[in-house]
Amino acid sequence: MSPEMLYALRDQAGVPAHPLIFLALGVLTFALHMVAVQVMLGAASLTLWGAFQRDQQWRRLASAMLTTAKIAVSVAIVLGVAPLLFVQVIYDPFWYTSNVLSAWWVIGFIITLIAAYIAMYVFYWQNPNIEAEGGHSGIWMVISLILFLTVGFIVHTLSQQMFYPEKWMSWYAPNGHIDPTGLKLHQWHASRYLFFIALSSPIAGAWLIAYRRYLLGAGEIDKGYLNFLKSLSFKLIFAGGLISTALGSAWMLSLPEKMTWFMGSVWMWIALAALMIIVALPWVLQNKLDKGFGGYAVFAGATISLIVIGTSREMLRFVTLNMAHQYNALDYRINMDWYSTVLFFGTFAIIGGTTLAYLLTVAWQAGQTKEGIYKPSQTITRLGQWSVGLLVAWTLSYFAVGFWVWAR
Amino acid sequence: MVGSGWIVGLIATIHVLFSHTSVGAAIFFAWLTQHAHRHNKPELLEFIKRYGLFLLVFSYVLGSITGPGIWFATTVASPRGISALIHSFVWMWATEWVFFVIEVVGVYMLVYLAGKVDVKTHTRIAVIFGLTSYTTMLVIVGILSFMMWPGHADWTQTGGVLNAFFGPNTFAQLGMRTAFMFTMTAVVGGIVAGSFKDLAQKKLIGRQLAVLGMVSTLIGAAMLQWYLSTLPGTAELVLDNRLPQHFPIALMTAVGGALVYFALTWLQPRFLVSGLAGLMTVVVLIFGLWPEEVARESIRKPWVAGQYVYSNQVIGKDVPGAGVTSEIPKIEAHGFLGTHIFIPENLRKITAQNQIEAGHALALVACSNCHSLSATGMRPLQQYFVGQHSVADISQYLQAALSSGNTLYMPQIPLNDEEASALAAYILSAKKTSATALASVKE
Repeated sequence: MSPEMLYALRDQAGVPAHPLIFLALGVLTFALHMVAVQVMLGAASLTLWGAFQRDQQWRRLASAMLTTAKIAVSVAIVLGVAPLLFVQVIYDPFWYTSNVLSAWWVIGFIITLIAAYIAMYVFYWQNPNIEAEGGHSGIWMVISLILFLTVGFIVHTLSQQMFYPEKWMSWYAPNGHIDPTGLKLHQWHASRYLFFIALSSPIAGAWLIAYRRYLLGAGEIDKGYLNFLKSLSFKLIFAGGLISTALGSAWMLSLPEKMTWFMGSVWMWIALAALMIIVALPWVLQNKLDKGFGGYAVFAGATISLIVIGTSREMLRFVTLNMAHQYNALDYRINMDWYSTVLFFGTFAIIGGTTLAYLLTVAWQAGQTKEGIYKPSQTITRLGQWSVGLLVAWTLSYFAVGFWVWAR
Repeated sequence: MVGSGWIVGLIATIHVLFSHTSVGAAIFFAWLTQHAHRHNKPELLEFIKRYGLFLLVFSYVLGSITGPGIWFATTVASPRGISALIHSFVWMWATEWVFFVIEVVGVYMLVYLAGKVDVKTHTRIAVIFGLTSYTTMLVIVGILSFMMWPGHADWTQTGGVLNAFFGPNTFAQLGMRTAFMFTMTAVVGGIVAGSFKDLAQKKLIGRQLAVLGMVSTLIGAAMLQWYLSTLPGTAELVLDNRLPQHFPIALMTAVGGALVYFALTWLQPRFLVSGLAGLMTVVVLIFGLWPEEVARESIRKPWVAGQYVYSNQVIGKDVPGAGVTSEIPKIEAHGFLGTHIFIPENLRKITAQNQIEAGHALALVACSNCHSLSATGMRPLQQYFVGQHSVADISQYLQAALSSGNTLYMPQIPLNDEEASALAAYILSAKKTSATALASVKE
């Protein structure tokens, strides 16, 4: 597939703002999506293990992690929508081709995801009281995890296939005969896929440290449980960091020729440094984990590290497609649309910022209130009133602008 | 084989059921929460807690997956159609995403913090949840309307999101969807309310749902008439000529059935049982949503987006305002096989040896988006040529019917002589293969 053909596959309409903005937002939202995915995988695995232990601490953890896993799936799905949107804006020739080549797997993705989520809920419904009764019907959580990993593998493959325009025609029409079935997955990279899955161990460990800090803030008195959490989280981070490093090395050593430039590049070292920071943070902050922001800083640091790793991953894609196929994602024709650009950033920063700040503060403080009904302070309440006011104003402006355009 | 269009339609129908239910329920919850607190009716809060948990599973889980699911399905069924929408409306979708994030945080808080936070705070969370749910609908309706036709008549000249997004069809569709989402809320709400043991509580909530359902169904029926009046002329012709005759009957059955159901549960709340409400949900899904979604998909044909992307993924019209030029002149000059990117090199030039295979390639790129190439599925291509025909007959018909772009419902497909013959040869060959397969099955 020549560069001219790749450019011919681009959407003629151009993009409504500078492509760099879509690239950056794609990296950011992909990284946040991955954090939620890794928390979900880690929490689900801990649930599966802990629910079937005799140890009460494990059972308590399993119960808490089951709630975490359920919510993390929702968060992962919601956050996953954004990178899915942005990849279509600047990498449309690659994304659409890859999807069409494996069409049935793309449809299978939806069905598998629904089945995975329902299986997790079935386990939840079957286990109303893990702490007292232990777990049963564990097969549902096993099924759920397998299906979630399958979903991840499908998306991994779709992303991998984007890298190989030179093979597209041989996949679509082997020996010149068209195969339009879309039944096959054509290209994957096991160590790359496993690297991102293995990261769920250190990320889940960082999450446990934050959970422990949250319990401390809420006046937790079970010292044994707190110590258990600390010990477990350190193990998860250390062992997971080692495994991730090993898999990352395997990935680097098996890079195909067009990507070997990445091996030993500054982007690889930056990603490795970010991974090391995830592993090192709990030890660096060891004496500060029980108070202030220290307990949460490990998870915050891990999230930032994931953004850095996500940036390196994007550079691998951007530079490879540029060097090997002369496709520059940043030279997409700009067809500036100020209305929708301002609308998004305004909504994101003002309404998103205000409303989420209000909701998350209330959720946080209500969760820390052990007895009685939680009543937010006047300042927080004012934030809530602002949130409602802004949403009403947004809705009114929608109709005002809409009727004005209609009437013109 | 199942056509990709059916899969998109199926996922879209299920998504509409879930998403409309959850948006409607979000607003209904906001009102109920306020009502419960103001009149000190804790049983209503209990309802919210129960319905909310049900909603999380029923609507949010499945709705939040089938939403992106439509993207995935459309990506493989109509990549250039979805690309046209994405490249025009990416920021509108991103704006919807912001509301989506708030909505998901809101629904978990609404359910899990019931009884744990003070009345005003809980009410405020419900109001935020309801408002953000509705704003997601405000955004998506503009994009759906553009799929039918651009909001403003001069959009092709001016370009820009504003003129693409807002128009009479946008507001008519918004009114219709808003009303029917409350109908679905009332129907699905009955599944939970039907399980209440306390008859007084069941009566109270059942009647509120029944009133909501009756009013919203009647308003929705009126809005549907407004919506129909905002459609382009070609859509009206398609509605009259191309849709199955049972569609209007099915829609009337869904509307009439819903009204009877609501009247019954209002007069006799004891009839509000989960089984009946569940059955009514299925009735609305099969007789209301499925024909409505199929009709909406069909009446914009031959276009799939903005009246410039044909269903077979060819750009069929100039849009100077967006810098888009029609691909038809290029195809007329060099043929489909000469211009399409995904044609194997050995098929770009038609020979006696590759004629049928080249015809197959043409059928794939020019026809398969709407016509199944097998004997079954969506509008099978070979069934349009029943009886005995020669390659010349079919070839002549294809060129006469499709080269001008004046055939209702069909895109302009300017096949040159060689391509028309190749496509005709393929159609005849496929007919023979199907007939042979059928005969061997019968034996």
